[in-house]
Amino acid sequence: MEGNRVNEDDVKKRDPLIVAGCAKGYTKEELLSNLPRHNKFSPLLIKQIKLIPEVIFRNSGTPIAKKINRMMREVTTEAYRAKQFTRTEINNRGVLFGVVMLKHRVIDRVLKYFHERWPKCIICLYNEYSQKTSTINEKGIIHEYISPLKEIVDKISENRPLIRYFDDIQFSGEEIFETLYNSQFISERENIPYFKKMIPDACFNLPGMRDSVEKRFRKKTLDKFL
Amino acid sequence: MPSTLEKIRVLGENSKYDICASTASSRTDKYPKLFGNSKNWVGAAASAGICHSYTPDGRCMSLFKTLYTNKCIYNCKYCFSHTCKQRMSFTPEEYARTFMKLYSMNVVEGVFISSGVCCSADETTEDMLEAIRLLRFKYHFQGYVHFKCLPGVSQSLLREAITLSDRISVNSEASTKEFLSEIAEQKDFNNDIILRQRWLKEIRVKHNLDTLKIIKDMKEDSQVKYQELMIQDRREDGYKKFRWDGAPILNSGQTTQFVVGAADGETDLDLLKQIDWGYRNIDLRRGYFSSFIPIEGTPLAGQQAASLSREHRLYQSDWLLRIYHYKLNDLKDILTEDGNLPKGDPKIYLAKKYFEGRGPLDPNFASYKDLIRVPGIGPISAKRIINLQSKKFEFKKREDLKAVGVVLKRAEPYLLINGKNQRTLDHFTHLSPEETSWREIA
Repeated sequence: MEGNRVNEDDVKKRDPLIVAGCAKGYTKEELLSNLPRHNKFSPLLIKQIKLIPEVIFRNSGTPIAKKINRMMREVTTEAYRAKQFTRTEINNRGVLFGVVMLKHRVIDRVLKYFHERWPKCIICLYNEYSQKTSTINEKGIIHEYISPLKEIVDKISENRPLIRYFDDIQFSGEEIFETLYNSQFISERENIPYFKKMIPDACFNLPGMRDSVEKRFRKKTLDKFL
Repeated sequence: MPSTLEKIRVLGENSKYDICASTASSRTDKYPKLFGNSKNWVGAAASAGICHSYTPDGRCMSLFKTLYTNKCIYNCKYCFSHTCKQRMSFTPEEYARTFMKLYSMNVVEGVFISSGVCCSADETTEDMLEAIRLLRFKYHFQGYVHFKCLPGVSQSLLREAITLSDRISVNSEASTKEFLSEIAEQKDFNNDIILRQRWLKEIRVKHNLDTLKIIKDMKEDSQVKYQELMIQDRREDGYKKFRWDGAPILNSGQTTQFVVGAADGETDLDLLKQIDWGYRNIDLRRGYFSSFIPIEGTPLAGQQAASLSREHRLYQSDWLLRIYHYKLNDLKDILTEDGNLPKGDPKIYLAKKYFEGRGPLDPNFASYKDLIRVPGIGPISAKRIINLQSKKFEFKKREDLKAVGVVLKRAEPYLLINGKNQRTLDHFTHLSPEETSWREIA
């Protein structure tokens, strides 16, 4: 009986009516840990954040709160977009590589995202903005190099054995994805404004999307109307 | 022998009207690995939810969604495969390899495997399972898998599918036996669909409780104690209390899909009744509605297409049932004479009805049940308001409500903020006795 009561209490604690936090926005801890990732971050901002109550930031009513929330949004959005739209390749030595364009210091987040998915691979991402190549190894340790991507990938691959698993999937996938993408098109449901909302213009500047099948769909040629 | 590309083109096109595309999963790393403890595992479902591409209608395209085969013994009147002259199937190895390639390119997040019924449901399901087995145990893929249960499949295969997938769905297609026989006369509604849905629920609950017992024996984990309760706990209205129960097996539960507007005379009420039944009796995680589109060459080619706004209203109503805890009877009140939902947002119709005679709501004293009725207040902002009420916080300004996430533009006509109520033009053009009394309060 006693044991049952403990369990019921536990369930009550997890009742959907109880939510953590009382307002939208970010906690001070989140601000302090994420803002230094912004490329326009200055230590002065940290001092200001420490002095201003959290509720001001959450309400986003003052110019400083607006600025800080905007900066937070830029950081989180950039990391999210990189996870979404970075297109990668994998070689038969288990090296996964791709190109990103990150203004802010979020490369570690993107690397960890790929590391979670391919824990036995070495991930190499070349950042077009900083012109550096970052890698994460099987143990989750991150390194940064000034050399270009191809050089780094070749160097890492040299020391790794050929792995049959990755050798099995060494064929061109671009055409496969393009075919799959085109096959899902339902002309009756076409909704270009919504499509544009889901993939905003800025995303087509990302390295993985510059020459993507989505872009070709979005920008119709005159032939389609004739 | 068609090439892989040709198969993707044809089988992908055949599956495009299946619109289940979410990769929602609450799988965690706290349980032992379900598909063995190989060090070479690949993929993650724990951090799923990222969409890598969108189709031109704005739907996310996160899953490798094709049929396994388009050879089919059924003759459903709405089905695309009627028009397809090329019949083909993947081989399990081909399917698994193609998916792994796409996954390595970071263009898909998981698998959605569906199929026509070739020879028998069991034979086709066995082939589909072989492809998933290869993915799980040869390619060590631990990510998201959505498995489509074919009508009439045997219980033993369903058991295996449950242990290999994150989500399983059985397509209802229509709301009743009569409507289904109208559009797919070979399918038996009670035996092929309802019975399979019931099995799915029973097997899922049993599997999960058994698994939790094993985990509990392995390690003393306090989480496991209430995980068992979360799997079984229900609300007063019979819906599951915890939609995401953190179950180790078939974590994302079961779903279903309806073809809206294919059967003549099927109303929104019929569909809502069936989905409400699903939430109460078979632990349905969610339902999908796909507007019927007539396809040239099918027996229903001459029938009128169902409007996309009807599909949208059904989704809105489904959301109200599932997330906002509205009762089906509430929705019945706003239906038109022909049993369909009226044009426009159902929540606004419901709010107008609910607040008629009650007057605007003071957020300082309102209960959760009342707050959730206000358009512009969702479950999260309602919970925040309740949380602040318990801390004796007083809402005096519009900004206070804005800060907790209330959409004031929608909510203001139904709220009393600092004793004042913001009216809309509607109130002055159609004044009723009840509404004039509101003005006096304000």
